[in-house]
Amino acid sequence: MTLVRRYGLTVAALIGAGFVFVVPFLFIVLTAVKDRTQAAQLDFTWPTSFPLWENFWTVISTRDFMLITAYINSTILTVGSITLLVILAAMVGYVRQRRKAWWNGLVDFLVLAGLMMPPAVVPTIWLLQQLGLFATLHGMIFIEVAYNISFCIILYRAFVATIPREMDEAAIIDGARPMDIFFRVILPMLKPVTITVIVVQSVAIFNDFVNPLYYLPGNDNVTVQLTLYNFQSQFNTSYNLLFMNILLVTIPPLIVFLFFNRQIVAGMTSGAVKG
Amino acid sequence: MSDLTLKSIRKSYGAVEVIKGIDLEIAHGEFVVFVGPSGCGKSTLLRMIAGLEEITAGSLHIGNVLCNDVEPRDRGIAMVFQSYALYPHMTVYDNVGFGLKLAKAPKDGRDKKIRDAARILQMEHLLDRKPSQLSGGQRQRVAIGRAIVRQPEVFLFDEPLSNLDAALRVDMRMELSKLHQELGATMIYVTHDQVEAMTLADKIVVLNGGEVQQAGAPIELYQHPANLFVAGFIGSPKMNFLPVTVKGIEGDTIVVQADEIDDLRVSIPGATARPGDAMTLGIRPHALRTGADGPIKGTVDLVERLGNETIVNFRLGGGTQWLAVLDGDMPLHRGQTVGFTAPEGEPVLFDRDGRNIAIANPQAEKAA
Ligand SMILES: Nc1ncnc2c1ncn2[C@@H]1O[C@H](COP(=O)(O)OP(=O)(O)O)[C@@H](O)[C@H]1O
Ligand SMILES: [Mg+2]
Repeated sequence: MTLVRRYGLTVAALIGAGFVFVVPFLFIVLTAVKDRTQAAQLDFTWPTSFPLWENFWTVISTRDFMLITAYINSTILTVGSITLLVILAAMVGYVRQRRKAWWNGLVDFLVLAGLMMPPAVVPTIWLLQQLGLFATLHGMIFIEVAYNISFCIILYRAFVATIPREMDEAAIIDGARPMDIFFRVILPMLKPVTITVIVVQSVAIFNDFVNPLYYLPGNDNVTVQLTLYNFQSQFNTSYNLLFMNILLVTIPPLIVFLFFNRQIVAGMTSGAVKG
Repeated sequence: MSDLTLKSIRKSYGAVEVIKGIDLEIAHGEFVVFVGPSGCGKSTLLRMIAGLEEITAGSLHIGNVLCNDVEPRDRGIAMVFQSYALYPHMTVYDNVGFGLKLAKAPKDGRDKKIRDAARILQMEHLLDRKPSQLSGGQRQRVAIGRAIVRQPEVFLFDEPLSNLDAALRVDMRMELSKLHQELGATMIYVTHDQVEAMTLADKIVVLNGGEVQQAGAPIELYQHPANLFVAGFIGSPKMNFLPVTVKGIEGDTIVVQADEIDDLRVSIPGATARPGDAMTLGIRPHALRTGADGPIKGTVDLVERLGNETIVNFRLGGGTQWLAVLDGDMPLHRGQTVGFTAPEGEPVLFDRDGRNIAIANPQAEKAA
């Protein structure tokens, strides 16, 4: 009786959460290893046969190994965007927190606007075309940076506020020039936020479906999420291959998350810098 | 060599003037302590010397160079901060060597300098640790090491001991003194603790409200405070004060009186005073002696018998609280009425503006 009272709610919550998170994942895994006919029924049954390797190879090799191209593109996109995001957002957050200037209000407004205003697709495409950046990978990198930088700036700025100004001054006395102060003293101290930004944003950008769909047309530019269309069309969908594809696309971010889990939590919660 | 000269230095934040015109000469190798209550502008003045704050007006010379607009790294200074401000992601070795690395010093020379500094501070065994693995006192050493390694002409310290516990503070104080003798560099040290100031300084600069109240050797300030503020600030326990009127003058002796005390004779050679002048009388607790027919009569409130001395809290007739520190053990008790005297040379008199009348006249200062 007391056991139920003490753990009842916890167990119920765990079961609920497990249901919501694990069942869909199990469904993906099961469907991915079924053969085509059984998968088409879309039910929660044990596979009758396991054409695992066959499904895997088909997904990889379809359309001239499009998934491989997609992996390369997505990786370039993610790494490029994250690098720019970290450096730019940390710089802006640092300068905005440290320097008192009359245009601070304007900067804050723009940052918040970037966070709140919905992106306007058609004008953006027009602008990209004028700049010659439409349907290029670096154009896409700029788009991802622009869409995500506001959030990162806010994260960085809050963290910089917890770093005592004496750190900057000690570096100045030691002879550091502004770039030295930022790259050698401040940026390393921002590591917890940087890890948070890297993980959260890389998952978001790697998994981004909508923006590459708008801004990155063309078979050479395909990103991993767009490969899902390979096995899905109006009249003919191979659910086993579709789910195998989903599985292959989901696993890398999952590994990143599991690997950095502890640091992410630390980065989101810690503020104080132990000196 | 590196003398420091400050000429009518001023600092304003917007309309608020924080430093109100400071003139100061600091000789090479001197240990100078800026002391004053919290918020009087000590840190601001130090940071202007360091180059971390702009100088609003006036001139700062280090050596013979006008340094108002010189970058901190080119001023030949090093600074130790109150919070130590060690770089948390670097080892002690890298913390100490960071400045040298930025200056692109060759690796061998750098290594030697770092190890020399570590040896002077006896922290060679700490070189591989991160700041988070150090105790407060050890962090303090690293911060000082970071300053030493730059081989500056002038060391700047901003309340470097205030984060340490009392026992460690006394140790570090002695070490700083030793370090000063060893290095022979100029040191400027900020503190709000007058005991630290008295023990460390060759010269104390007492600041209040952004102005220099008095600058001089510690004993000089103790024996001949220029004004009421310095008299009250330097010396522990605090000097006793009482408003008095001049009753008469007999040669070098001024006789003062008040409602609360009988006639008291104060010997101040060469001082100018006229009967009827309103003044403030100051007597250090250590100058008071018991004497049954003494001019100062008080009711004992509290007695602290420490064996070698007795600290007596007492109340004058009008309720003014005074303190006396008497030699040896005195079996006094609460409520008792006691008479006190002071040798004629000990009391100090301040005029209506709070200036010490003995110092207002430079001739008198020498005679005293
Ligand atoms: N950045 C600033 N803006 C405005 N006022 C300041 C600033 N820094 C210090 N002050 C003021 O200057 C005065 C002196 O400060 P400070 O030099 O830090 O005093 P302390 O003697 O305690 O070190 C204080 O009254 C403080 O409020
Ligand atoms: Mg201060």
